[in-house]
Amino acid sequence: MNNPKEILPEPAWNHAELLERVDNDQELLRELLTIFKEDFPRSLRSLQTAVADGDLKNAARLSHTLKGMLSSLGGAPAAAAASRLEELASAGETASLQGAFGALECQAADLLPELDAYLTEVRR
Amino acid sequence: MKILIADDEALSRRLLERTLERAGYEVIAVENGKQALEQLYKLEGPRLALLDWVMPEFDGPAVCRAVRTRSEQAYIYMVLLTSKGSKEETVLGLESGADDYLTKPFNAEELRARLRVGERILLLEDRLVEARENMRFRATHDQLTSLLNRGAVMDLLARELNRSHREQKSTAILLGDVDHFKHVNDTMGHVVGDEVLTEIANRLLGSVRSYDFVGRYGGEEFIVVLNNCDPNYALGRAEEIRKSVSNRPIHTAKGPLNLTMSLGVLLSGEWGLRPVEELLHEVDIALYEAKAAGRNCLRTSRPATKAEPPSAPLPQSVRLRH
Repeated sequence: MNNPKEILPEPAWNHAELLERVDNDQELLRELLTIFKEDFPRSLRSLQTAVADGDLKNAARLSHTLKGMLSSLGGAPAAAAASRLEELASAGETASLQGAFGALECQAADLLPELDAYLTEVRR
Repeated sequence: MKILIADDEALSRRLLERTLERAGYEVIAVENGKQALEQLYKLEGPRLALLDWVMPEFDGPAVCRAVRTRSEQAYIYMVLLTSKGSKEETVLGLESGADDYLTKPFNAEELRARLRVGERILLLEDRLVEARENMRFRATHDQLTSLLNRGAVMDLLARELNRSHREQKSTAILLGDVDHFKHVNDTMGHVVGDEVLTEIANRLLGSVRSYDFVGRYGGEEFIVVLNNCDPNYALGRAEEIRKSVSNRPIHTAKGPLNLTMSLGVLLSGEWGLRPVEELLHEVDIALYEAKAAGRNCLRTSRPATKAEPPSAPLPQSVRLRH
């Protein structure tokens, strides 16, 4: 019953995992964060529009893109939220989309400040 | 080694690009399936490809299917990148022609190891292609001189004769025989004989255009096919070839040797469409005539005109070579 995964909340951003994936290349990590900060808000806004319009096809496509972006960056909880949204959109669950999008926004709200904090720190 | 990355998502693409550059690959990164195909269809294009499953234009499996329908090009080892994980999707991906698949987010170590598998497959293919090319060369070329062998020349000649007949042009057949070659072999040995043949082969090759054929027809007999040429050019070339043998000695392990060549010449335009064997028989007769006329010269084979009776068979004495 006590699955440790359920007890320990996953961090919004797994910095260590990402650092390992880039072979400790700090410069690349900063570059990836910069790409993310540029692409993520734009895709999120497009997704919001698709969800509001009930455009299932684009909602599925955009949540898939966001999922890839987030998982590459080490943002597992937000990636999971995007994945859930993709599943719902693919399954045609129009009624549940808005709620799932809200969950994704919540996760993103946890993640983004961490990334900003990191970028501020390394630029100091 | 070149590798193609196709991923529409900038972050993943950059991460892959850098990971692979660090592993020593020459990376070409594109954003969609259409651009991926453009790169993969290029001559000398990448032969390793990492393709994202979900992409605009063509998705990963569509790129795999398109590449696999082109059988004439070198093998391309393709890995699908997917965040999809179900068995059905894995099967679908592999059946579209992918060699392997990786689930995102990928582990760099695993990615590199899987690409090394791809490189091993490509190396294996290269070796097989090389072996096949060697065998093909050996089947169509003479081992000593590397000229085309008799069978290959006959095939090419038949094709060329048909073509020049169709286009109302003329193909010249030159049959050359090294004079007194048996004497060289008997007195200097076969090693020197081989040196002579190799050098003469080189001189013949040096006397013709890149699209003409030179073959070893038999022991010391060579055949030259001049495609698409007028009679004056053919006779001039035949004379050049004769001189290329006689004008300077051939250097051998046992010293320089002065040798000559007799040639029979036939212009297909004067004969109309005839079987290759028949024309070769005729040019062979012209070569006998050159031998009979004292060697180191050429004779042209011309069809008998209606007024003349068919030429009598040559006396047996003239048919002797050497």
